[in-house]
Parts: sequence; structure tokens; C-alpha cells
Amino acid sequence: MKKIKTFENVIIDLKHYWQKQGCLIFEPYNSEVGAGTFNPATFLRILGPEKWNVCYVEISKRPRDGRYCENPLRFQQYYQFQVIMKPSLPDIQKLYLQSLESLGFKLNEHEVKFVEDDWESPTLGAWGLGWEVWLDGLEITQFTYFQQAGGIDLEIVPVEITYGLERIVMALQNVESILDIKWNSQLTWADVYKENEIQFSRYNFEYANPEFLRTLFNGYEDEARRLFDAGLVYPGYDCAIKCSHIFNMLEARGTISISERANLIGRVRALASRAAQLYLANFNREEKTDD
Amino acid sequence: MIDFLLEIGVEDFPPGILAQTAHNLSSQLEELFKTRKIFYRSIRTIYTPRRIGTIILGVSRRQKPQVVEIQGPPKKVAYDETGAPTATLKSFMKSRGLKPNEIVVKRIKKGEYVFGKKESPGELTEDILYQELPRIVQNLEFHRGMVWNETKVKFPRPIRWIVALLDRRPIRFEYAGIKADRYTMPNFHFSFKPIRLGKPREYMNFLRHGGVVVDPNERKKLILSRIKQAAGKLGGVPVFDDAMIDEINASTEYPEVVGDEFDPAYLELPGEVLQTVLKAHGNLIWIKDSNKFICVFSAKKRAIQNVKQGYKRVMQARLFDALFYYKQDLKQGLNAMREQTKGMMWLKGLGSVYDKSVRLEKFVTTFKDIPKINLNALTRAAKFCKADLCSAMVREKEFTSLQGIMGGYYAGLGGEDNLVVQIIKEHYHPIFVGDVLPKTIEGMVLSLCDKLDNVMGAFIIGNQPTGSYDPLGVRRNGYAVIHILDKLDAKLSITQLIEQLKGLYEKTVQPTPIHQFFQERLSRYLQDNGYRYDEINAVLENWTGDVADIHKRCDALKGFRDRHNFVMLIIGQKRVRNILKGIKDIKELNVNLFKEPAEKALYKKGMEVSARLEPLYISGDYIKILKLLLSMRPEIDKFFDDVLVMCEDDELRNNRLSLVNFINTIFLRFADLSKIVIEGVKEG
Repeated sequence: MKKIKTFENVIIDLKHYWQKQGCLIFEPYNSEVGAGTFNPATFLRILGPEKWNVCYVEISKRPRDGRYCENPLRFQQYYQFQVIMKPSLPDIQKLYLQSLESLGFKLNEHEVKFVEDDWESPTLGAWGLGWEVWLDGLEITQFTYFQQAGGIDLEIVPVEITYGLERIVMALQNVESILDIKWNSQLTWADVYKENEIQFSRYNFEYANPEFLRTLFNGYEDEARRLFDAGLVYPGYDCAIKCSHIFNMLEARGTISISERANLIGRVRALASRAAQLYLANFNREEKTDD
Repeated sequence: MIDFLLEIGVEDFPPGILAQTAHNLSSQLEELFKTRKIFYRSIRTIYTPRRIGTIILGVSRRQKPQVVEIQGPPKKVAYDETGAPTATLKSFMKSRGLKPNEIVVKRIKKGEYVFGKKESPGELTEDILYQELPRIVQNLEFHRGMVWNETKVKFPRPIRWIVALLDRRPIRFEYAGIKADRYTMPNFHFSFKPIRLGKPREYMNFLRHGGVVVDPNERKKLILSRIKQAAGKLGGVPVFDDAMIDEINASTEYPEVVGDEFDPAYLELPGEVLQTVLKAHGNLIWIKDSNKFICVFSAKKRAIQNVKQGYKRVMQARLFDALFYYKQDLKQGLNAMREQTKGMMWLKGLGSVYDKSVRLEKFVTTFKDIPKINLNALTRAAKFCKADLCSAMVREKEFTSLQGIMGGYYAGLGGEDNLVVQIIKEHYHPIFVGDVLPKTIEGMVLSLCDKLDNVMGAFIIGNQPTGSYDPLGVRRNGYAVIHILDKLDAKLSITQLIEQLKGLYEKTVQPTPIHQFFQERLSRYLQDNGYRYDEINAVLENWTGDVADIHKRCDALKGFRDRHNFVMLIIGQKRVRNILKGIKDIKELNVNLFKEPAEKALYKKGMEVSARLEPLYISGDYIKILKLLLSMRPEIDKFFDDVLVMCEDDELRNNRLSLVNFINTIFLRFADLSKIVIEGVKEG
């Protein structure tokens, strides 16, 4: 019998693969994010004129997507494997497809489809053109050429490849639910995360305190502004990330109206834009002192 | 004769613009070949998600030989009295390298001149292509481009290779940092190895072996026949339309097909939901009223098991979600959803979606006099038609397109009668120009009210369309209003409807621009119905707001156009109209001032015709009306032959102008026929 590739081995393999392509191996951010894009290793580093190749696992938190473990594909938290190549390479699509081969997918036994997806993050003021990549109908990757971040046109166009790890492993191990994924040879995803998932579903939908969350949002927003005023990009941006997650929590809780939603998104975007501008300004200043 | 192949290799192109971009490329090449006089036998557009291109067969190696004429000195300077060439002519010939047999004399505006006529062999096709191809690729039109490398060239998706092959030679032009060559790429499910092309004719076959059917027409046929085959095997009727097939065609290089079944538990969901889920997940084709589906995929045949299993897994997970929303909505009920629309803003400053539904409920009563209308069902539907915007289902991005339809289901399950259900379901139609109208009169009325309200709202908040700016789709809404009014044919004036609706708003809107807006929409609508712009301009001259009536007038006018006496009719009003040009002050007509018999006769005819027209306008018999208008022609002609309108006597002149104006008004009540353009008849 063919040896099954475990969840942890897929992560290790992807790291190896992209390390060989020249990526620095980074680690997840230390606060809740909706996607690896929020990690400063992406959002800030894609700005500016320097080359930057990096890969890392990011734990993506999507409170609204929780289903108390009742849906085989929808969870309020999952793992992404994020790759940034800046600038992108001419054969990047092939490199990506070969990464799938390196995990054990034979391209002649599956359908890999690049489905048009113009990606946009209203909270980050970022957009790019690209695709969702479907493996036999299952979305396993977001593949995007960034064009703008923080409302700023990018000097060098980077490509972002975001693998949905659970989904890839599900297809590799041919199981019907993410819960059944073998994490290592002894434990499944359910063993590791099921209880956590159910409890967080309850928290996100039923127990989260909207008043407290609003207070937090306002507090972090003020803090971010104060920090930006002091020229502290990273701590300020950290607060912006927190605002973004709190917004996601509020939305999951179902307590924001449509107009308030637009308002909150606008406020987070303003913070992200501020961070991007400040980051670039610092960058330019450093360059000048270098001269 | 040789062949030419141009292929632009891209990372997967957006299916929605693939065909048009490829055709754009072909027509530009066609244009180039024509203007540069390069002969070719046939041209063919090819595209797949990963390539757009053109194959041109039977191309000449050179342009057609060119004859160039160079103007020289005037004849009288070029030759002396004996007819011998002068020094001036000789020096002209020498400087241009002209031989005596290349010299001709031609008469032009300025007089007779000497010309040098030279035949040049024509440039090499290869050279022309080398120069022009970058421009052609650059000129391709697209809505939204992206940058991917340091050249900062914009294109919908990155260009990764270019094949430009004329016979056996690559034309190595450069674009976006890529040098055109003879290597194309196969379907990546088959191989990553570039395919070397010796000459263009190898292209289709070599790629077929590489898992690519490059001809979109061939691919489409293949898709359709495979769907038919699979449906036959599953037993049932596949639900799809042309747009869906085109999208599938634009997303595949090599179509394979597989059929399967999903869990019958999901048949509890309405058919539209099933269809939407299936379509959203890879354009899966639903077998009507069953739990079966067909998947067209773009990979090797041996992938069939994985594909089948994979698609089913994803689609069932989504059906699970849909069923979850559906049950949640049923538990909640339409009343509770409607309450929630209070918190949903409609347009900025114009209240909530709830407020809109209240307004619609009142506005629909304006239509109470339409024969056989069920006003109870209509108001009931108006009340609930927007409630589903707050249902769990419609709030999901994937199911937004089911607005109205879900509301209909929820209304039915909540005990509303069938007509109310039907009205709610269909009231968003027509969704686009050319879409079907609601089937019921009540559905048409509600759709009309909803859309007129959308237009009104946009005008009030200052979001009316200008140029290409129309974020709220106001033009589409306006067009639908016109379309429905025409089909309702209920003697309704849009001007009055606007007034009625305005009364239901606190804020107001200036009537002129909105009337103008609808007149433009009406004009477009009539154009789309095959009327000429001059016919439309003529009947729109005195539009009072009845759409169906204008359509009938247009139709009568168009029908009259083929008659032998059409020109006579038009000239009649043109004559009348011409003499009134520039006259502002028209005095009251005084019959006692008539002097000539022709004046009296014209007046008498006018009075008689007016009286006979009256009942015809009520019955709307416009062909008879046109005949009557035509019948005035002899009196009009006699009048202009016998009577000098612009005579010296002020009183007499003014009265004659009044008479002419009186006749003009009779015409104008139908249309301004002087706006009709007649070929071969001089204006003025």
C-alpha cells in the first residue's frame, strides 16, 4: 500500500520545495489574521523596491466560516501556506504546478483549473488579478499578482501563492472531511482541533460580547493612530490587524448593519493605508541616508 | 503562397473576454493585411484559456506591387513649343530616377501637370509583420489589465510565450519582454515540454497531441456532443444555455465529460438553488428534476475518477450550506425578513429597503385601471418583494442572483397564493437588455414600479448616468421601464407616472433631465426594434409620455415607407415646414382675410381632415391617419403654386403664415415628418 502523506509532512515538503526556489522560511504572525496576506512579511514587504522571496504557514481565522464541525469543508480556522515571490518569475505557474507534483499529485490523473478570481481585500486596500486554483473542483490555492496594497501601486509586481493546506491534504489522502485528515501517523485533524473548532464556533456565533469587541475596536484604532503619529509602523500595523480580526468577529456575531459594516471596513482600510504609506516613507528615508 | 500563425500564450485568460479578445486580434490582422495589400486566402481565429491566436492561410510573400505617382512640374513648364522635354522636366526625372516611359501628363485641379509613375515591387510580408505585430498586440482592447514584469506592459493576464511563424521562419518581434519564436506549449496536464513548430500547418495537429483543441468551434461541438452522450447515459434532460456552454468552452483546452449523482436528500432544495450551486462549482450541468449532474473537465481522461469524486465532494458541501440557509429562512418566515429590511439601507439618504417596499406598495395602486389586474395580489407582492434581501440565502454572495426567486418560494411556503408567489419571483425581470419580461401583468407592473423607483432614486441623489459612468445601472433600469410600458400597452404616460412617484418621496427631482433620460432610452429601444433614426426623431418630436403609442406611430411610419406615395406625404410637410422656418410670431388665423381660392381650399381641407382625424387618434389607427395627412397634398401644392405667402402686405402675409402653421399643426400632431430623410431629395 502507498504510504499516506501526512498533514505535517506536506508542510515540511512545501517548505523544502520553496526553500529550493530561494524563499526565506518565515513563521506565522503572532496575532489573529484572516489570511497570510496580513502578515507584515507580505503586506509591508511587498511595498518598496527590494526583492523579497518568502514562505510561511499562516493560521487563518475566519470566524464567520465556522460550522461547529458539521460541514466537512467549512471551519473558522485553517492553515495556509503562503509564498511570496517578488518579483514574480516567468515560469511561476509551472513552478507552482510542480510543487503539486512534488506533493504526490500526478497532473495526468487530476484536473488543475485556474479559475479567474480578481482578488480584493477591502480592509487592506489591496487588489490583484489571478485565480483560484481548483484541484478536481476543490479550491486549493489562491494565485494572485498583486497590483496594489494600502492603496499604493506596487513598484515590483509580486506573486502571492496561498495554499489551503487542509484541502490539499484532504485530496492527497482522499478523505471526505477535513476532520479525517491524518496529521501524523497517529493523530487526525479532529484529534488535534475538533474540540477547539466547536468551542470557537460557539464563541464566535453565540458568546462573543459585541460591546466588548466594539470597545476593543475603538481602542486599537486610537492606539494605531497614536503609534503611526509617532512613526511606529510595525506596532501601529499590529493594532490595525487586531481591528481587522475584531471586525470579523463582529460580523460573525451578526450584530453589524450593512452601513456600519462599510464604515468599519473603511476605518480598517484607513489604518492599513497609513501603515503602507509610513512604511514606504521610512524606506525612502533610509535609502537617502544610505546615499 | 505561404501560411502565417500568430499565437499569444498566456496564463489562464478570463473566460468572459477570451473570445472577443481573440476576434479582436484576428480583425486587426485582417485589417493590416488589407490596408497593406497583402493577399491571403483565409483567416481563422483560435483560442483556449491559455492562448489566443490567428491562422492565416495562403499568404503572399510580398505586398501587391505598388504604383506610386510623383507630381512634377506643370505641363507648360515641362515641355517647350516643339513638345520636347525642358531642362526642368529632365532635372525632375533625374532627381526621382524616372525613365521616359514612366512620365505621364494628368489634368488636376490646378491644370495639367507632369507625373512620374513608378511601380515598386512591394515590401516583404515578413518585414511588414515584424514592424506591425507589436503594435497589433498592444492595440488589443480589454477592460482591466495587469502588470506582471518590469516592462510594465498591461494585459488581462501575463503573456508567457509568443509564436509568430511565417511559413518556416519565425518573426522574432518583441513584446512585453518576450521574443516571438516557433515554440508553443501543450496542455500542462499532458506535459511541460515546449512543442517546436516547423511551419504553421503543423500547429493544430501537434497541439491536439499535446492535449489542446485550439479551434473553439470544434471544441464547442465536442462539448455538446459529449454532454448529449453523458445525458443519454444518465437518462434525463441536461439544463444549460448557450452562455454556459460558451463559458465552459472558454475554460477548457481539451473537454472531457463525466456524469454522477449527488445525495438525494438535497432535492428538498428548490431547483433554482440546485442549479445555482452546480453552476457556481465548475459549471456543472444539472439533469432536470433529478440528483444527477454532468461535469465537463479539462484534463486527461484517466483523471475521471478523481474529478468525479472531487467535484461531488465540494458541491455537496455547498448544498449542505444551502440547505442550512434554507431551513433557517423557513424558520424565520418572510414577515420577519421584511422587518429586517428596515436596517438595510437602500440608497444613501433615501431610507431603507423597507421604506422602498412601502413606497412600492402604494405606487402599484396607480395601475388599478389596467383591465383584469389583480390589485390585491399586486400590493401583497409589492409589500414582500424585497424581504428576501434579508434572507440567509440571498445574503450569501453565491445566491444573490436568486433574489426574488427565494422570496417567491418563501412566500409560497408561508401561505401566499400562487399569483403573489409568481409576481415576487419574476419581478426582477428583465434583468438585462434582451431578457424575458415577467409573464403576468402584475409581475410586469411591479417590475416597472421597482425599476422606475430605482431610476428616480438615482436621480434624486444625483447618481444619474453620465458618459460611461452608470454605477447603479440606471440606463438598464430605464430601458426596462420603457420595454414594459410598451408591452403593457395601457395608455400610460411615463410623465404622469413620474409625477405620481415623486409624490411618494420627501425629496424631489427636477423633471426635465429625467424626462430627457427616458426619451433617450425610448429612442434606443426603438432603434433596437429596427426603426430608423429619422423615423424615431420624427415621432419623438411631440412625445407626451405614452411609450406604446409612440411605438405604433413608428410602426405606421415604417410601414408607409415602402409605399409609392411616401415621398409625397413627407414633401407635403417639408414644404409647409420650410416656409415657417425662422418665423416666430404666428398671428391668429382670420378666415375673412382669404383672397385666393387656393387659400380657402386649403383651409377647408385642413378643417375637414382635422375633424376626421379626431376619432382615428382615439382608436390609434395610424395608417389611416397617414393616408388622411397625405390627402392634403393637392391643396398644399395648389396653395404654394397660386399664392405668394411672403407678399408685401403685412396682414395678408401673416394670415397666410397662420394658415400654413395651421396645416403644420395637423401634421405635427402625428409627428414631425420633415425630419424624415429621403434619399435623392435635397434638403432646404
